[in-house]
Amino acid sequence: MSEEIKQLYEQRLGRYQATIALEKTDRMPIATGSNYFAEVYSGNTKQETIYDSEKWLRAEEAFIRDFPEVDVLRDNRIWGPLYDAVGCKTYKLPGRDLPPRTQFQFVEDEYMKADEYDVLINNPLEFMMDRLLPRLLGELAEPGSIRARMALLKGGMAQVMMSQIMRNRSLYLEQKLGMPQPMTGFFLAPFDALADAMRGLRGVLLDIYRQPDKVMEACDVLVDEMVNLALATADPLKRYPIFVPTHKACFLSPKQFETFYWPSFKKTMERLIEAGYTIRAYLEGDWGHHLHHLLELPRGKVLCDIDNQGDIFKAKEILGNHLCIAGGIPDSMFILGTPQEIRERVKLLCETVGRDGGFIINGGCNIPYDTKPENYRAMIDAIIEYGTYDKSIDPKPRVPQPDGSKAPVQLKMVTPWEVKLAELGGVLGEEDLIRRPWELLEIMGYTWIWQWVL
Amino acid sequence: MTVLAEALKDLDEKKVYQLVEEKIKSGTSPLEIIAECNAGMVGVGELFSSGQYFLSQLIFSAEIFKNVMNMLEPLMPKSESDGSAGKVVIGTVKGDIHDIGKNIVVNLLRGSGFEVIDLGVDVPAEKFVEALRETGARVLGLSALLNFTYPEMKTVVEAVTEAGLRDKVTIIIGGAPCNEQVRQFTGADYYAEDAVAGVNICKKVYS
Repeated sequence: MSEEIKQLYEQRLGRYQATIALEKTDRMPIATGSNYFAEVYSGNTKQETIYDSEKWLRAEEAFIRDFPEVDVLRDNRIWGPLYDAVGCKTYKLPGRDLPPRTQFQFVEDEYMKADEYDVLINNPLEFMMDRLLPRLLGELAEPGSIRARMALLKGGMAQVMMSQIMRNRSLYLEQKLGMPQPMTGFFLAPFDALADAMRGLRGVLLDIYRQPDKVMEACDVLVDEMVNLALATADPLKRYPIFVPTHKACFLSPKQFETFYWPSFKKTMERLIEAGYTIRAYLEGDWGHHLHHLLELPRGKVLCDIDNQGDIFKAKEILGNHLCIAGGIPDSMFILGTPQEIRERVKLLCETVGRDGGFIINGGCNIPYDTKPENYRAMIDAIIEYGTYDKSIDPKPRVPQPDGSKAPVQLKMVTPWEVKLAELGGVLGEEDLIRRPWELLEIMGYTWIWQWVL
Repeated sequence: MTVLAEALKDLDEKKVYQLVEEKIKSGTSPLEIIAECNAGMVGVGELFSSGQYFLSQLIFSAEIFKNVMNMLEPLMPKSESDGSAGKVVIGTVKGDIHDIGKNIVVNLLRGSGFEVIDLGVDVPAEKFVEALRETGARVLGLSALLNFTYPEMKTVVEAVTEAGLRDKVTIIIGGAPCNEQVRQFTGADYYAEDAVAGVNICKKVYS
């Protein structure tokens, strides 16, 4: 990496990190998490982005060239072939089930039955392997069949290919273009894990009336699994926040949120923060009634994206100077508005919500695909003009936080090394040479199983 | 408010089913039972509008109401459509396959006594026009979750105009990405901030 690129990378990352940590920096970062616009800017179809990783990267390169002020790009994208290999039913993909220029869409269904809570609670792994995955992944529909076993093989291989693509892309962006990522790694709030790909919204809403205790117990059990998933997929260097999109909180009453959603979500986030990470949470829908709970988390550790239906001014009032927030421009303004409207909106946001830092201008959790390029340009120019705090500050990345948890988290495995070692009755050579790759593959396999709840 | 209406308003699921069963046994007409449930659903809508109920309660009330309708279905006299508060054609526009929001509105409309022609998701403009022609409905509801549907909603409004139905039909758009700016762009008559607001617009049209 050239010195110039390294400097650029460090400046961008430092600016982003300082803002999340509520510390002073030179200017408001231009740091959307999901920038869908970046993907289509160069003319790619949406199918090309998720099926042709080379074209995806070229599109992003073109985007970065034309918008060099941008501080972080995006990641956490899916790679179509993995989803095909196992026949994942929860996503409709462009070019496969949808026209090539239509965006991917999540399809909810009741994949877990109302009377299966005890299976999930008593043995989450068995529940995933024997119940959920065969229903969620079409290719595994007949467990034990040749086709199903083949699909597991292909799925594992595709996972490695996808990881390689993501890793190379991330390194290319960093080392050739000086571009950090907005987040790395992912998890769901336990209630969402239950309410998205397992019970679905309708199912879970019936459950909270008909069997509330089971819902709470299941959420508790899922804390461990979500912490594990997050840590297994996070940036080991702890530079970037871990991503959590929230889906069902906006449907719940404050009382339901406090009972079913918040306790397990809070526990999950606390464990990740304790392990030295920050979190980027998409607060989808209107979180107005739930926001104050976030004050229970440590200061400066969570970046909260406020959605279109939320109120950015109210969010600032509630979260104050405790957590960084992002948002403020309605999606419709990016798509239908004019550069002048955007400019005025940015000015207003910079003079109010963003006056003392701890704020990132964004759409409702993303920059929409159909954003007019001139509107995006106007946003950037206006942020530079109105969102510059102190030009004398030269942002630098933060030193990663050590793991503060009392017992450092051991990532989960199906067959831990001790079990294998006992089976082998000891080894003749250097044990670590065998143990390390064994554990790595076990961890990868375990992570593979749980990623499908997203 | 009757005991049944009250139970539905309070989302006391078991009590609702129990009361409905008792009423069926005692020979109360299905239409009377529905009328009581309608009153309960109106109560739910009011609690929602005043901020005491949230989406989960709205969905759950609709779920209970749907189950009551299933209990009454076999007892319903044929062709009861003239008792309806009015007809509404609704669907999620082409390209978008989400239906949670639309389903909430559909169930709530049915709970308020409307006859709903639900065209489902990913509905092309010509299908909306066809349904409006066939049914003579005076309200068209367009639902969307994804913001790339703005041009598509506009296309539907234009298709309704081209078919010569625009002055006979009130068009409402709704869903997360909709607001006044989007309404103006699409040329719809209203945008509904939430499901209850949408139902209220339908009531106004048919009043």
